[in-house]
Amino acid sequence: MNWRSAWESDVVRHFVGLVWGVLALAGLALSIVTWVFKKDVRSIWATYRSWLVMAPLVLGGIFAGRVVVIVGLALVAGIGFKEFARATGLYRDWWMTGAVYLGIAAVGLTSLVSPPNGGPPGWYGLFMTLPVYVIALLLLVPIARNRTQGQLQALALAIVGFVYIGWMFGHLGFLANAPHAYGYLLYLIFAVELNDVAAFTCGKLFGRHKFRSEISPNKTWEGALGALAVSLTLPWLLRFSFPHFGPLQLVLAGLIVGVGGQLGDLSISVIKRDVRIKNIGAVIPGHGGILDRVDSLIYTAPLFLHLVDYYYRIW
Amino acid sequence: MEPWRYETAEDLDQPLVERLRRFPREPDMLVYGLRSMAALTVRGWLRLWHRLEITGRQHLPAADSFVIVANHASHLDALCLLAALPLSKLHRAFPAAAADYFFESVPRVWIAAVVVNALPFARQSHVRQSLALCHALLANPGNVLILFPEGTRSTTGELGRFKPGIGALLAGCDVPVVPCHLAGAFHAWPKGRALPRPTKLRLRIGAPRHFAAAVPGKESACAIAAELEQAVRELQKNHDRD
Repeated sequence: MNWRSAWESDVVRHFVGLVWGVLALAGLALSIVTWVFKKDVRSIWATYRSWLVMAPLVLGGIFAGRVVVIVGLALVAGIGFKEFARATGLYRDWWMTGAVYLGIAAVGLTSLVSPPNGGPPGWYGLFMTLPVYVIALLLLVPIARNRTQGQLQALALAIVGFVYIGWMFGHLGFLANAPHAYGYLLYLIFAVELNDVAAFTCGKLFGRHKFRSEISPNKTWEGALGALAVSLTLPWLLRFSFPHFGPLQLVLAGLIVGVGGQLGDLSISVIKRDVRIKNIGAVIPGHGGILDRVDSLIYTAPLFLHLVDYYYRIW
Repeated sequence: MEPWRYETAEDLDQPLVERLRRFPREPDMLVYGLRSMAALTVRGWLRLWHRLEITGRQHLPAADSFVIVANHASHLDALCLLAALPLSKLHRAFPAAAADYFFESVPRVWIAAVVVNALPFARQSHVRQSLALCHALLANPGNVLILFPEGTRSTTGELGRFKPGIGALLAGCDVPVVPCHLAGAFHAWPKGRALPRPTKLRLRIGAPRHFAAAVPGKESACAIAAELEQAVRELQKNHDRD
C-alpha cells in the first residue's frame, strides 16, 4: 500500500467515486427534506457536515499508505481509549492508563513490523497474543505500587479498555497488511458506516417496536432489520472489492457488518448507560466522541479479519 | 454486590478548548506531558538567552500551599517565577492571568492553560468569583498561587500601586506570602514589543510573610496591599544596589 498503488488501484478509484456519490446524494436528500418538506433536520446537517470532513480524511489516509493507516488508527484507538478512561474515571489512575497506552502503541508496532523470522510486514503471531502480555503488564501495576483499594475496578476497566478499544479495533489497522488491503479496508469502513446510517434512517422512517429499550431507547427492530437487509446486499454490489470471495464469504461479510455493527453500537451504549452519560466525548460535532463513531468498527474488524484469514490463509 | 462508582470527568461533554478554558481543569496526561516539555524548554531558554539569575530560593516554603506576589512588567514574569519553582511543583503552580486577555482567543488559551497553567482571573466583572477560586486553591495543600497585584503589566517599568484585592484575599488566610522582584524584564520585553531582547534577568525572592492574624475588612486589605508593595520595593532597591 502506497500512494502510487492507491492511484493505480481500481478498487480505490471505485470507492472514491462511490463515497462522493453517496455524500452528494445524502446532501441532496437532506436539502429536499429541509427546503421542500420544511422539516427541522439541523442536527442531521451537523452530522452530515462532519462526514464531509471525515470522508476525505479516511480516503486520504488510505492513499498515504500502510504506515499512515496503521499509525493513524492507533492514534484513533488512543483517543478512543482516552474518552473511555475519562468517562469511567479510570483516567485518574495514570499508571494504569499509561500501561494501556503502551499496549496500544504495541498494537500499532506489531502491525507495522515483520516477524523476526522474516516474511511480509505484520507480526501476526505477536499481534494475536498481545492481550496476554498487556494484561500481564496491567496486573503488575497494583503490585508495583503496593495498592489494593479500587484496584480490581481499575484493572477491569483497563483490560476492557485495552482489549476492546485498543486491540480489537487494532485489527482494522492489521488488515492493511493483507494482499487485498484496499478492498478489505474500504469495504469494511464503508459498509459499517452505511449500516449505521441505514439503521438510523430505517428507524426514523418505519421504527415502531423498541429493540433494546434499556440500552438504547432510540433503536427499533425495524431499523435493525432494515440495516441488516442493506448490509446483506452490499457485499454483492461491492464485489469488485474482493473478487475472490464466493457466495458464502459474501453472505458472511454481510452478516458480520449487519449484525456485528449493531452489536458494537449497543456495546458502547451499555458502557455509556452504566456510566450515565449521553455522548462519550465532543470531538466530532454532530456525532459525539471518536468512540461514538467507531463503535461498530471495533466489533466487526476482528471478525472480518478472521473471516478472510480462515478462508484465504493470509497469515 | 455494590455497584461500581464511576467518577466521570466533569468536562466530558466539552470540546478541548472549552476544557482548557474552565477552572479548575481536569488533570490530563497529554497536557501535563506538554507542559513539562514546555517548562524544560522555557527554563533552558531563560538561562541561555536571558542569563536568568535567581537569589533567595531558600525562602520558598517546601510543603504547604503558598502565594507568590511580584511586580508585573512583561510576559516573562510568570515564566521566570515558574522557573524558580522545582519541577515537581509545575502542575500545582497557578499564575493568575487576565481572563479577558488570555482566555478569549484560542491560541492564547493554549499557551495560558497548557504552558503557563494559568488561573483565569476575571479582573473586570467577576472579581469576587475569581478571588473565591484563589481561596479554594489555597485551601488545598501543595498549591502555589502566583499573583501580580498591580493587575496589569506596567507601561513604564516602574512598580505600580498594589490593588487592595490582594489584601482582601490574604487577610485571615493561613498561607505564607512570598514577595518577589524581577529586574530586567521590562527592558527585555515591554508591552507592545513582539519578541524579547536578550537582556539579563534577575529574580530576587524575599522572606515569606503571614497575614493569618489580620481581620478581613477594607482597612486590613489596603494595609496588606501596601505592606506587600513595600516588600517588593525593598527587593527592587536591593537589586539596584547590586
